[in-house]
Amino acid sequence: MEIIRCVGVTRKFGDFYANKNIHFSVAENEIKAVVGENGAGKTTLMNVLYGLLEPTNGHVEVRGDRVNFTSPVDAIRASIGMVHQHFKLVPTLTVRENVLLGAEVKGTINLAGRSVTLPLLSRRKGRAKVLELIERFGFDLDPDTLVRDLSVGAKQKVEILKMLYRSVDILIFDEPTAVLTPQEIDDFFDSLRQLKKQGKTIIIITHKLKEVMMISDSVTVIKKGEVVKSIETAKTSERELAQLMVGRDVLLSVESDHSASPNNPLVYEVENLSTRTDDGRKVVDGVSFGVKEGEILGIAGVEGNGQSELIRVLSGLMRSTEGTVRMRGEDITNSWPRGLRDRRIGIIPEERYVHGLCREMTLAHNCIAGYHYNSEFCSRGLMKRRAIEHWRDRLIEDFDIRISDAGGQLSSLSGGNAQKIIIGRELESNPDFLIAAQPTRGVDIGAIEFIHTTILALRKKRKAVLLVSTELSEIMSLSDRILVMYRGRFIDEVDARNVTRGELGLLMAGVKE
Amino acid sequence: MKKNDPQRNTKAAVTLVNAVSPVILAFLIGAVVILIARENPLSTYWILFSKSLFDFQGLMKTLHYASPLMLTGLAIAVTFKAGFFNMGVEGQLLVGAFAAMIVGTSFPAMSPVLLVPLCLVTGMVCGILFAAVPAVLRAFFNVNEMVVSLLLNYAIAIFLEYLTSGPFRNPSSGYVSTNMLPDNAILHHLGGTKLTIFTFVALAVFIVMYFLFNRSRLGFEIEAIGYNPSFSEAVGMNVGRKILTIMLISGALAGLAGAGWLMSEKYAYTLSFSGAVGLGWDGMLIALLGAHNPAGIIVAAIFYATLKVGVQNISVFTHVPSEIIALIQAMIILLLSLKMIGGPNTRGYKRIESLLDSGRRKEKIG
Repeated sequence: MEIIRCVGVTRKFGDFYANKNIHFSVAENEIKAVVGENGAGKTTLMNVLYGLLEPTNGHVEVRGDRVNFTSPVDAIRASIGMVHQHFKLVPTLTVRENVLLGAEVKGTINLAGRSVTLPLLSRRKGRAKVLELIERFGFDLDPDTLVRDLSVGAKQKVEILKMLYRSVDILIFDEPTAVLTPQEIDDFFDSLRQLKKQGKTIIIITHKLKEVMMISDSVTVIKKGEVVKSIETAKTSERELAQLMVGRDVLLSVESDHSASPNNPLVYEVENLSTRTDDGRKVVDGVSFGVKEGEILGIAGVEGNGQSELIRVLSGLMRSTEGTVRMRGEDITNSWPRGLRDRRIGIIPEERYVHGLCREMTLAHNCIAGYHYNSEFCSRGLMKRRAIEHWRDRLIEDFDIRISDAGGQLSSLSGGNAQKIIIGRELESNPDFLIAAQPTRGVDIGAIEFIHTTILALRKKRKAVLLVSTELSEIMSLSDRILVMYRGRFIDEVDARNVTRGELGLLMAGVKE
Repeated sequence: MKKNDPQRNTKAAVTLVNAVSPVILAFLIGAVVILIARENPLSTYWILFSKSLFDFQGLMKTLHYASPLMLTGLAIAVTFKAGFFNMGVEGQLLVGAFAAMIVGTSFPAMSPVLLVPLCLVTGMVCGILFAAVPAVLRAFFNVNEMVVSLLLNYAIAIFLEYLTSGPFRNPSSGYVSTNMLPDNAILHHLGGTKLTIFTFVALAVFIVMYFLFNRSRLGFEIEAIGYNPSFSEAVGMNVGRKILTIMLISGALAGLAGAGWLMSEKYAYTLSFSGAVGLGWDGMLIALLGAHNPAGIIVAAIFYATLKVGVQNISVFTHVPSEIIALIQAMIILLLSLKMIGGPNTRGYKRIESLLDSGRRKEKIG
């Protein structure tokens, strides 16, 4: 039976169609995947379903009844809940408090045989309710931990609990796996199967086709705001979906020839580098490596083994406690980010919206950030507006950045297009050495292909690249050599030409030989 | 580039509504009080505005009063844009004024061509030096600049009170005051109006600040730091040093406001130099009202000066107590803290969006 039906839903932003005449339905108790490139309009459609946006035209039916949501409150009342990509939790409250927030359980007392509701909250009853939900869905959570102490995967479970507590039957997930580690993804899929078993309907927005094939019952492909195809998952393939999404054949993986010569001169050298976190833990422990001209050095590892801190030290955001970093022989240990860029080091930071971009600023300003000191953009303290806009247009053109308004703010861009701004900014400035941290995290396949090709092109120009990624296939197809990081150290170095996924996986888990 | 971006138009409209609606509401509440005082609110408000805006002498007077307010408003806005607060504008203004007074009275024989700029520059420099205290503490020792700058206001006010009533007291004056500025250090009224050079100085500063905010690299950096300090650092800005610079600019504006007000209006430092609320505190309200944007601040400063000038006329021409203006000011502050329209997902925002949208559609049909 159809539980949700969109009839000709159209949503316009100005003159831009984010959704155009969408017909889309979800059957009860299925897992529906909605796929499409970044900016294709998936999120807009879901925001319409969740009452965050009202459709310009068309309408939504839930269980056959036409609904008109003006806010998420209406959607929740119609038993539709959404788990956003960026969690909306209060870090200083416990799991229980976060789940109950806004729908607390009042205490009751018995007065002469009648139950009277008190204007007080009952901690005990609330806790019992949350605990019951946790057990019913087999989530491994303690209701009394503070949310700030939870892992990302556990936080996501709290978000799901929040919705379940509000007796939601239909759960929408916006890019749920973008922030999860491989293990957490498996765990998350288990939760989804559990939810399905309990009769819930699930819609998941994603662009990771592997996951679509693994978990969903049916899939709808959206391209440029329109539905291209809806099909049962069993009747399609990853390749076909990719082709539908992008509108052309896509290379699911761009492969390097892995032929860097070991005799090329050294560009970047790190010797015995260590750093500690504020609470004194040694997270990077005496690592050494060198990157040569025309070489891509990959650093693989399970998230949380010191790669993030290593990147932060190398990009000037965290101080090292020991060791040296040299660029073409010059000591640049603990240089400011500006000093690094002056020495032609490009940086693609791990956290896109924290260190790479500023959502509230214009596209143009984001396109020059880090290079705003250059005489090309700024003379005698005044910004050259023309030159900056010209540069922005060049990046948009060269890096195929899809936008509705070039003069607008960065926040109007989808994740993949925002990432392309960083890539464009760092590469168009022609660096000699590029630090690329998780360059394709949360980016759709069309853009991944593009980013990978761009990085390989840089290698071809005999530039050096340090690639840090938790995505194994990315590391394996691009790198010449691979270092595996485990507990702050390199456990081994392998040749990318003759290593298997299994071998790398073992190394990542800390098993050597 | 598209000029008529609907998203930006909506944003601008929301900012405007948020700034104007508290003012209108405050006047409505004021009207009720005037009615209770058995006067006609419309004619009272007419007197308030017409005599200070639509009358040449009145307008000049209003602009004169607006001058220090523009500067203090800008002084607050420049720090707010960068995401922190200089709460010490009032104190920096007093220091600037007192220092200008000392210099002015020390060189009575110097030619005004030299003495006037010297006094103004001294005011600015001393404003900078006084602002440097919280700024240095913040930049190098990470001490909260809001607390330090706020508390220093009271410390400096009392210190200057001591200087005014002790070492610098004018013995021939009937009340506590320093010596008057010599004629050479005074900014004279122009063409029989209240207007002095100071207003033009303030306007020049406004133009400089406008460029600083919108065109300069520092403006770009201020914006970035205000929105996202970790981003700013990652793209190579030395955030600590920038905050220092911004704080010192703020202090310079405050010091200039003090020196200018001394030389164009007060001529001597008295215990009530800055007025009952204080020009620095008024600046905070003006910055808020002007949405921390230079053009908005100039409008807000003139509006505020209109009230200040108008209140004198109200007490002359009506029986409405002049406290009515204090009431309206207080109401504006109170209502400003209530954000009438929130972010893009609120009902009010959507309503404005659809209003603008339907307006556009009509335009197209017409």
